[in-house]
Amino acid sequence: MRARMIILSVVLLALLVSTLFPLYWMVATSLRGEGAVIKKAVELWPKQPSLGNYVDVFRSGPFSRYFLNSVVVSAFVVLGNILFASMVGYGIARREFRGKRLLTVGVVSMLMVPRQITMIPLYLLISKLRMIDSYFALTLPFLVDAFNVFLISQYVTSLPAELEDAARVDGAGDMGIFFRIVLPLCKPALAVVGINTFLVSWNSFLYPLILTNTERMRTLPVGLALYSQGEHSVDWGHLTAGSTVCALPIIVVFILFQRHIIEGITAGSGK
Amino acid sequence: MRSAVVTNRSRANPRPARSGRSTLIFLSPWLVSFGVFWLFPLVFSLVLSFMQFNPLRPDLARFVGLDNFARAVRDPLFWTSLKNTLVFVCGTVPVTTLIAFFLAVAINRKLPFRSLYRAGFFVPSIVSVVVISIVFKQLYSPAGLVNKLVEVFGGNPRSWLGDPGTALVSIMAMDVWSSFGYYTILFLAGLQAIPAELYEAAVLDGGGFWGTLRFVTLPMLRPITLFVIVINTIRSFQVFIEIFVMTRGGPLNSTLTSVFYLYDRAFYRFEMGYASAVGYLLFAVIMCFLFLQMKYLRVGRGAGE
Repeated sequence: MRARMIILSVVLLALLVSTLFPLYWMVATSLRGEGAVIKKAVELWPKQPSLGNYVDVFRSGPFSRYFLNSVVVSAFVVLGNILFASMVGYGIARREFRGKRLLTVGVVSMLMVPRQITMIPLYLLISKLRMIDSYFALTLPFLVDAFNVFLISQYVTSLPAELEDAARVDGAGDMGIFFRIVLPLCKPALAVVGINTFLVSWNSFLYPLILTNTERMRTLPVGLALYSQGEHSVDWGHLTAGSTVCALPIIVVFILFQRHIIEGITAGSGK
Repeated sequence: MRSAVVTNRSRANPRPARSGRSTLIFLSPWLVSFGVFWLFPLVFSLVLSFMQFNPLRPDLARFVGLDNFARAVRDPLFWTSLKNTLVFVCGTVPVTTLIAFFLAVAINRKLPFRSLYRAGFFVPSIVSVVVISIVFKQLYSPAGLVNKLVEVFGGNPRSWLGDPGTALVSIMAMDVWSSFGYYTILFLAGLQAIPAELYEAAVLDGGGFWGTLRFVTLPMLRPITLFVIVINTIRSFQVFIEIFVMTRGGPLNSTLTSVFYLYDRAFYRFEMGYASAVGYLLFAVIMCFLFLQMKYLRVGRGAGE
């Protein structure tokens, strides 16, 4: 029994190392100097690590602008979802109204229908509104995510309604109850919503690709993908440096908030 | 009895008017975003699919009936893209599901470093697919690490992404690598919900590892397995970023997938009516696929239990 455990552990550790190796390789390549990349030898860790590639990347492409755009867009989308998804989720969980069933069907349909069907009309709509290549285009359509609404409404349903009733008896208004009682109680769910929305928003690609058309408005993944084509296509030192810049915030957030991320992912499966 | 009366009354005369208005306020962000950014595009897309529409020449827009659909069905490239997409889905989904399932079963035992495995295997699935694609483009390149490894084992190095015979398979392998950790987490959550008594009973009944797997774990995990297969299928049908970054559909259209085909028609050739029709056709294919999966897996459940 013990021997089997040891064998299993060895196998799992080997698998884990090979799973993480490509990401390790990305960082190692990005730290190699100009000459080392051209040299054919395989170096598991650069002999003279240098940040030269990072400096070059930020000089040769508007990577600081991409980074800023990604931060601004993700921040607005996260805040929007925390506020709006909790309003809607609360409304669905606590209020009775006509068409509630239809609304729930709407939420589920948004999760089921693939996004590329709405991609073309959304592009036409945004360009008709003259918002192509603006922060509006990158944030407005993504402020209320269906999955977040679903998550919050599940969470509010699980909360006892007594506190809200008591506040109502004490004369609190609907908005007061929502902001002072419900929102603070929802903090654990809001953390899950915020962090998972950040992951999705930061990595978002297809929509930022079609909704922007100048370097100034590209987000990090889109900027990086376009940078990787054409003249820089085999510039592995620069490309891996850009990739590391794009991946690092996600990995930091993951290390800090692992529990919330896993909670968010498993929330959709159980129900 | 009393509570029933209260419920009845509250149903007959739901809320004062003020409350009705605030309900509307709470729901308004959803109503706006659902209507403007979801329902309208969905309907508009259907209308577009019956039109010839180029956003650069809106004056030439006209209804063409079913022409777009007929054109798609006659276009060999449409079929190539659909075939590649189906190969991608049918090749990756079962492999990813199997790896994720057995990995979850293994990690779920009382092992040292359990939380390390849980976190470590998961990391690739949250890193941007653009990043993953660039890293693997380097690994697969003629002077890349994969070829170095092949040489060590005495094989012939090749251009993995440059050869029509290996390009799609290489991208599929990358997809499995980058996504199995995500589904492992889902399976783990499912495993942790299985009551320990069931396992104890299985041990008492003398069921070994495979017996327990077959009669306890598998039936208990059936709902989550269905969930994993369904969401992975939906995701895989939309494979796009990998293609965009690594091959742009080449070589010789061997990695042309449906969404890349659609993107190319809509945003390079500006045939937005035609591309909308392709989008709806793809949607229909996905729905048929999901319907079959659900039906097949449900029937399997009825027979197995």
